Amino acid sequence: MEHIINEVFEKISVMDFNILLFFGIILFLGSMGGRLFQKIRFPQVVGYLAIGIIIGQTGFHFITKELINTLHPVSNFALGIIGFMIGSELKIDVIKKYGKQFSTILLFESLTTFVFVTLLVFGVGFFLFKDVPTALSIALILGSISSATAPAATTDVLWENKTRGPLTTMVFGLVAMDDGVALLLFAITSSIASALLGLGASNPAASIVMLVYEIGGALLVGSITGFLLSRIIKSFLDEDRILVFSLSSLLLVIGLAQILQLNMILAAMSMGFFISNFAPRKSKETFQMIQKFSPPIYILFFVLVGAELNVANLSVLVIILAALYLVGRVAGKFLGAYLGARLSNASPRVKKYLGMCLMSQAGVAIGLAILAEKNFSGSIGDIIVIVLTATTFVVQLFGPPLVKLAAKKSGEVGLNKTEDDLLKTSVAKDLAYAGKASVLVNTKIKDLMKLFSENGINHYAVLDKEKKLQGIITLENLKTLIMTQSLNEFLVAHDIMEPVIRTCEMDTPAVIVREEMKKYKLPCLPVLDKDKAFVSLIEDNSIDKYISHQIWQLNKTIEALG
Amino acid sequence: MNLQNVLSEDLCCVLKEDLKNEALFIMLQMISNKLSLPKDVADQMTRNIFYREQLMSTGIGLGIAIPHIRFEGVSEPIVAVGINEEGIPDYISIDDDVIQIVAMIIVGKDQHKEHIRLLSQVVSLLKQKEIKEKLLFAKDPHEIYTIMTGK
Repeated sequence: MEHIINEVFEKISVMDFNILLFFGIILFLGSMGGRLFQKIRFPQVVGYLAIGIIIGQTGFHFITKELINTLHPVSNFALGIIGFMIGSELKIDVIKKYGKQFSTILLFESLTTFVFVTLLVFGVGFFLFKDVPTALSIALILGSISSATAPAATTDVLWENKTRGPLTTMVFGLVAMDDGVALLLFAITSSIASALLGLGASNPAASIVMLVYEIGGALLVGSITGFLLSRIIKSFLDEDRILVFSLSSLLLVIGLAQILQLNMILAAMSMGFFISNFAPRKSKETFQMIQKFSPPIYILFFVLVGAELNVANLSVLVIILAALYLVGRVAGKFLGAYLGARLSNASPRVKKYLGMCLMSQAGVAIGLAILAEKNFSGSIGDIIVIVLTATTFVVQLFGPPLVKLAAKKSGEVGLNKTEDDLLKTSVAKDLAYAGKASVLVNTKIKDLMKLFSENGINHYAVLDKEKKLQGIITLENLKTLIMTQSLNEFLVAHDIMEPVIRTCEMDTPAVIVREEMKKYKLPCLPVLDKDKAFVSLIEDNSIDKYISHQIWQLNKTIEALG
Repeated sequence: MNLQNVLSEDLCCVLKEDLKNEALFIMLQMISNKLSLPKDVADQMTRNIFYREQLMSTGIGLGIAIPHIRFEGVSEPIVAVGINEEGIPDYISIDDDVIQIVAMIIVGKDQHKEHIRLLSQVVSLLKQKEIKEKLLFAKDPHEIYTIMTGK
């Protein structure tokens, strides 16, 4: 026996691990990391990335380059989900409202960053490389990449904190769109760089045509799939089926985009946009389900992003360039966002905090860097990849916490609550009727009728002299007495009350209250205190009333934000 | 609901008692005998009837009293009628008239509608002047039963 066990264990090495085992380990460690960082009040994303860095290329090499390549489809899936969810946040009426503001800020924050990084890198790079074409090429390409903002890490923080308001709307729109600007800038600058470095005639016009195809095609494929999906799920009631169809359409779009070399995030985004705007009722369920399904995929994605970074061996040159890049990017994003917001008369909070939300860089930036490495093989390509890797590492450490801080300062945290969220954080006390909801057992029917006609509730608790709950009177009970007015003089509450089936306490969670009322078909649920004395009633419509009031208040708060 | 189904001769009586409690006891006795209720159930029924009287006396005016409860010890509605021509002075009534006719109504716990219907039926019957006068002259349970059911 021992012999066999020894033999088996001697044979096992990391090389033998299968994909599922890796999935399990990455997910497990990643979620532990997220939890740990959440405890020290950091966004969970940073935790996922940290775990990735520890077990990846920088740290223990547990996740090899080959594995990262093998798991590439998972990353694409995650980016697709992120695109899809961002699309769902973009509502036509909101875009109409913020459209002008939005485009102004988009141009300013991306172009200012581009100009700052390019100028800084070129200014110093000129002395380092002693060669204008090299310095200018590197500067232009780094500048174009710097304008991109990572949607994933940024939106994840916003979702985690359930934010809603003008700042959130602006950030959602910007992070999705400035990648488009970055792609455009990259296409232009890499053509210029190719020309500067004399690397074959990369035709700028052809690059632009390619870009139009990449973006236009993505929007087209996403919209068509979105249209079909919204048609298909319209007749579905079954949640499981909606989930399967939504996921399959998402996978179809992502896969198609890859084959056709279209921009994947934009394709998924336009699908999400299409569904949420043209099938709003069903789409709510769809997005909720995709969102519930997404956490493990996100964790895998972020751990893999962390694992891909190799920040172990840096040269002085790269450190200087990375520092310049960082300074230029931070300054550019802050100043650009501020100027754009100011010129477009955005609300004061957007002006003040938007820059803080645009720090993150990840997928698209690294992707473009890898593209640059392929286009400019040799030292220029390597420098770009290493600078991007190093700066992504730094930026991801302070970017997500800054988003969290900005969301908190702007007062938008916790405003994006769904009915479920509200219910989860409420207790019986919140739902109970605030006025008097009880009568004594010997209250005459005619007095009861007066009470019912004068007050807004349809149920009363019946108490004895010791204030102990004896029964419930409903409007339905009382209705049976309408034809028998002669009895109203001498019947009392005791004669027509119904028995109490269930009660709850002040701190009973609202979710349980709802379940109980549904399960026992209760028209109302009495709330008792610790000593079993009656406090108040929850009526069958109290929960809806409470939730709609809360949502109304949330909306009022959001409106007040600007 | 037809009164014939819930009332019978052995649930009617001419009361000699002139105290409310005693009169109520006699009528409770008739009902528990009729239904052959076990002692503990009969006791509970008595307690419930007296508890209800504590909340508010069931004298409804015009010399009529209708003690009534919904009670888990019975499955079908049942009515008992007692007459005392001399009156029961300590039976408090809305209009301060002396109570001469007592109609006790007991229905099952869940028989809210039957309860209301039966109450209203009995009240409107007893409020008819000729019926009331006839009842006061009734000499025995048979006569009471005939007047009540119109047979």
